Amino acid sequence: MSVASQALTAQSKFSLKEWIFTTDHKRVAILYLIGSFAAFFVAGIMAMLMRTELATVGPTITSNPTNYNVWLYFHGAAMILGYQIPSLTGFFANYYVPLMIGAKDVAFPRLNALSVWLYWMGIVLALLTFVIPDPPDIMWTGYPPYSIITPGNTAFYTFTVLLIGFSSIAGGVNFLTTIIRMRAPGITWNKLNIFIWCTMAAFVMQVIFVPILGTAVTLLSFDKYLGTHFFDANAGGTPLIYENLFWFYSHPAVYVILLPGVGLIYEIVATFARNRVFNYKGVVYGGIWGTVLLSGVVWGHHIYVSAIPSWLALIITFTTLLISIPVGLLVIGIVGTLYKGSIEFKTPMLYAVGFMFLFLIGGLTGIPNAMSAIYIHIHGTQWITGHFHYVMAVSVTTAIIGGTYYVWPKMTGKMYNETLGKLGFWLFFIGVNITFSLTMWLGYKGWPRRYYDYSQFPQFQGTQQIITAGSYIIFLGALVTLITWIHSLIWGEKAPQNPWGSKSLEWTHAPTPPPPGNYPEPLKLSEDWHPYGYGK
Amino acid sequence: MSEKIVEHELTWHTSYWPLIGSVGVLFLAPLAFAFYFVYKMPMMSIISLGIGAPLTIISIAGWVKEGIEDEHGYSEGHSVWAMPIFIVAEATLFVGFFAAYWALRLTAPVWPPAGTPHEMPFAIPLIMTAILLSSSVTIHMAEKHLEEETGNKGGFLKWLIITIILGAAFLSLSAYEWSELMHEGFNIKTNIYSSVFFPLTGFHGSHVLVGIAMFVCILIPALAGKISEPFVKSASIYWHFVDIVWLFVVSQVYFW
Repeated sequence: MSVASQALTAQSKFSLKEWIFTTDHKRVAILYLIGSFAAFFVAGIMAMLMRTELATVGPTITSNPTNYNVWLYFHGAAMILGYQIPSLTGFFANYYVPLMIGAKDVAFPRLNALSVWLYWMGIVLALLTFVIPDPPDIMWTGYPPYSIITPGNTAFYTFTVLLIGFSSIAGGVNFLTTIIRMRAPGITWNKLNIFIWCTMAAFVMQVIFVPILGTAVTLLSFDKYLGTHFFDANAGGTPLIYENLFWFYSHPAVYVILLPGVGLIYEIVATFARNRVFNYKGVVYGGIWGTVLLSGVVWGHHIYVSAIPSWLALIITFTTLLISIPVGLLVIGIVGTLYKGSIEFKTPMLYAVGFMFLFLIGGLTGIPNAMSAIYIHIHGTQWITGHFHYVMAVSVTTAIIGGTYYVWPKMTGKMYNETLGKLGFWLFFIGVNITFSLTMWLGYKGWPRRYYDYSQFPQFQGTQQIITAGSYIIFLGALVTLITWIHSLIWGEKAPQNPWGSKSLEWTHAPTPPPPGNYPEPLKLSEDWHPYGYGK
Repeated sequence: MSEKIVEHELTWHTSYWPLIGSVGVLFLAPLAFAFYFVYKMPMMSIISLGIGAPLTIISIAGWVKEGIEDEHGYSEGHSVWAMPIFIVAEATLFVGFFAAYWALRLTAPVWPPAGTPHEMPFAIPLIMTAILLSSSVTIHMAEKHLEEETGNKGGFLKWLIITIILGAAFLSLSAYEWSELMHEGFNIKTNIYSSVFFPLTGFHGSHVLVGIAMFVCILIPALAGKISEPFVKSASIYWHFVDIVWLFVVSQVYFW
């Protein structure tokens, strides 16, 4: 029996034990995928509930504002901590990193399994929100003093963050060690896939900044349950400490989400444009690491109105605007890679182009927000909601879904239906543009965030209903995508080893789907090998 | 030989402990805490601890056993690289804590705030510092013995045990000092100084405890003759880090 066919027999038998106790990076990746898309789905339902509530003036489906707050809490916390970060630094990092660097697994396979299960425990804790009395109702930010005086269960918020945070740190330690130590001979630093660089950058930020969030949320529960006074203004504490610590992590978290998303887009664009990555070194050392360098000095733009000194607001305005430079390098790199490429519009490529459009809108609408003088006027409006949904929520979601389509044949060994895939994209793309452009417009008109009722502004009911309809279209698009994947799993054609004609290692050298240990024999790559070596 | 490797690679590797340990942690920390402090159900909290603690301990033991035996040949000395990365994370954890403390202290109208005892402990923290610093030396001695060409196992075990004893002495002194202070009416709820003092020293103490736990996880297999050198080295790096953090703690909360 040949090695490859042995591998297939090893894979074709389903054994629950081999899944839940697995330490293989590809299976851990799939566990992350299931968890993160489950979180995406439930958080999406929360968004639908909120949008339905806002369809009419006054109470629509609930007359209890706390319900709305709980939906809002779950939507934000699950989308960021349960879906985006784990799908990028969990699923994609796990699936791609060992394959792209030619390794047989990560440096610490059991630690990797511990990461995924701690993350799942975090998801379990978050889902308990729906069955416990007094669920958390404190948004994903958990600002004191409200989070301390509310009857809601702030402890679950703290522990959800701590579990998922620990999982991230363990992942960071694991993957940074893996990338430093386990690259196959011949894969030098300047021949790494852009996605690997992005993952490294994301994990460097996770390792540095997640613990700060850990401190912040721990002190929150200390204040609430053990009686300390960190955020208690009556006893000499101040809630501002929390806000600073929280955003000191949570702004870099945006780049933790963005960079791997951009990395996926690079992989897709290089493959489907059959082109070398344009300005590789500029993208890596300027774009990616420039973003990391600035990520720690921009947190203040989240708290412009929380009494930060005006000199600091001025500095933060500058550093925030400065971020445009590395991000600009990243975008120019993508455009340059498309230039004179032989472009093929398969579903992943559609998502990649969708990403560029959405990210451009999101990025440009961020510039006024960076300036403290302008920001004061748009603070707390739906403009902000629209902006960060464009720049982070939906643009990175297109990267995640597109990236999943891209890796799909390798991961499952099945092709998907292009027509269904494209239908899902267009529904999603049209839906998000209806929803979030109008959300920004409403915010520009002064409509505040987080309101569950708007009897003061009945004139906006029509717009609200269009937004709600848009959100239903998004949901429909996501459902079509889900159906495409299920359809592919059941009826999909068998995938060839390299359906996209990519030059990257996981497509050219690994069997589809890759067996345990990934590569049948240890790799050694020649001088002229390059992951983007097209046109030779 | 090569055939054997190929065959070996074609099975999916598994380990029970990551999942069991995670479930253990879920019961041990979040559920037990929430039952006790949020829902005021001490009995449920004890049950939760009763489920969580054994699961966690079993999986740590199983994990260490599996790691020492290293059936799949995972150990390639990566942990010596990984530990410094983990320490960066640990360090920023303390940075967050100290930043909160400095922000509170530097904006306080009077310091120490009302309710603080006139005489904060002086001798005990000095003794604790001496103990912890010397324990860094003793673990270094242990490592030295292990690195000797012949691998002096007896010497290694001796110095390792001394290190564990020193760590335990440190924690006992810390506990004694806490109880003295609480006796004087200075507890976690007293004022912003106590709000910092107890969590910060406790937080550092929990790191000492983790360090000791690591050493115990080295000691038990070592008594049966199994030693993983990279693991010893990483644990020792961690211990030096805990030592350095203590210098910040002691200088910032006791002698400033």
